Amino acid sequence: MTAVSDVATAVLLPAGAIFCLLGSVGLLRFPDIGSRLHAAAKAQTLGLLLILSGTAAQTPLRYAPVLLLVILFQLLTAPITSQIVGRTAYRVQALDRRKLFRDELADRLALDGTPVDAQPSSEDADR
Amino acid sequence: MTGREKTHRIRHHLPMVGWLWLLWILLWGSVGPVVLVGGLLVALAVVGTFSLPPVLPGAVPRPLAIGRLLIALLTDLIGSGTAVAWQVLRYGGKTSAAIVEVPLRVDSDLLITAVAEFTTIAPGTLVVEIDRRRQRLYVHTIPVHDEADIARRREAVQSVERRVARAVGTTRRRTGPPGDDGSGPPGDTGTGPSPDPDRGGSTP
Repeated sequence: MTAVSDVATAVLLPAGAIFCLLGSVGLLRFPDIGSRLHAAAKAQTLGLLLILSGTAAQTPLRYAPVLLLVILFQLLTAPITSQIVGRTAYRVQALDRRKLFRDELADRLALDGTPVDAQPSSEDADR
Repeated sequence: MTGREKTHRIRHHLPMVGWLWLLWILLWGSVGPVVLVGGLLVALAVVGTFSLPPVLPGAVPRPLAIGRLLIALLTDLIGSGTAVAWQVLRYGGKTSAAIVEVPLRVDSDLLITAVAEFTTIAPGTLVVEIDRRRQRLYVHTIPVHDEADIARRREAVQSVERRVARAVGTTRRRTGPPGDDGSGPPGDTGTGPSPDPDRGGSTP
C-alpha cells in the first residue's frame, strides 16, 4: 500500500513541478497577455493539481479531502481570474490586437458602434 | 408563507445545506457530535440568512452525464496543460492567436458560467468576454494558423456546451448532427419551457 502511494507521489510531484516550471517559462516567453494567461490558467493549474494529488497520497486519510477541496476551488476560481484579467486587458488595449490572426470581438464591437479604437491610445494602457 | 411553500423552499435549499455541511466536516477533519451538530446549524443559518434565488429552475442533474463531464474536464486539463507546455517549448514568442466568437444555445446564468469555466480549462481556449444578452462567448485561442483552426475551436467550445447542458438535463438530447454550427432555433435548449413536476422551479 505504501509502495503504491510512494510510486504515485514519486510520479505526481515531479510531473506537477515540471508543469509549474513550464507555466512560468510560458509567462516569460509568450508574446502578449492573452497567451500568457493560457500559461497561467492551464499549466499552473495542472501543476498545482498534480502536486496536491501527490501530497494527498502521502497524508493521512482525514487530511486528504482538504487537499482535494483546494483542487476543487482552484479549478473553480482560476478560469474566473483569467477571464477577468483577459477582459480587462482587452478593454484597456493592453492586449496587442495587431498580433491576432482574427479578432471577432473587435468586429462585434465595431458593429455595435463602439469600436475599441475609440478608447485612449495604447501608450496609456501600457503603464 | 403557507406550509407547502415552506417545504418547497426547504427542499430547494437542501443540496446547498448538505454541501455546506460536508464542507464544514471536511475542514474540521473529524466527525464528533459537536462538529456534526454545529456544522448543520451553521449551514442552516448561512442558507437561511443569505437566501439565493433559484439559479437553474427545472434542472434535473444526471449523475452519469455529470461523471462524464468531470472525466472530460480532467482529460481536458491534462490535454491543455501539455498543449500549453508544448506551445511554450515549440513556438515561444511566435505563437499566433485569435479571438473567436462562439454563439451559445444555453440561456441561463449558471449554464453560461459553467460553459465559460470549462472552456477556459479546455486546451487552447480562454474566455475573454461574455456577452450574456446575445449568448455569446469571445474566446482567445492559441495556436491559430488558418480558418480551419478557428472553425475547429468554435466546434470544440460548442461540444463543451452540449456536455454541460446534458449534465444538468435542461436540454433534450440533441438530434442534429454533432457538427451543428449553433444557429438553430433559440427555443430549442435552455431553461424556459421545461416544466419539472419534481421541483417546480421558479414558480413564485
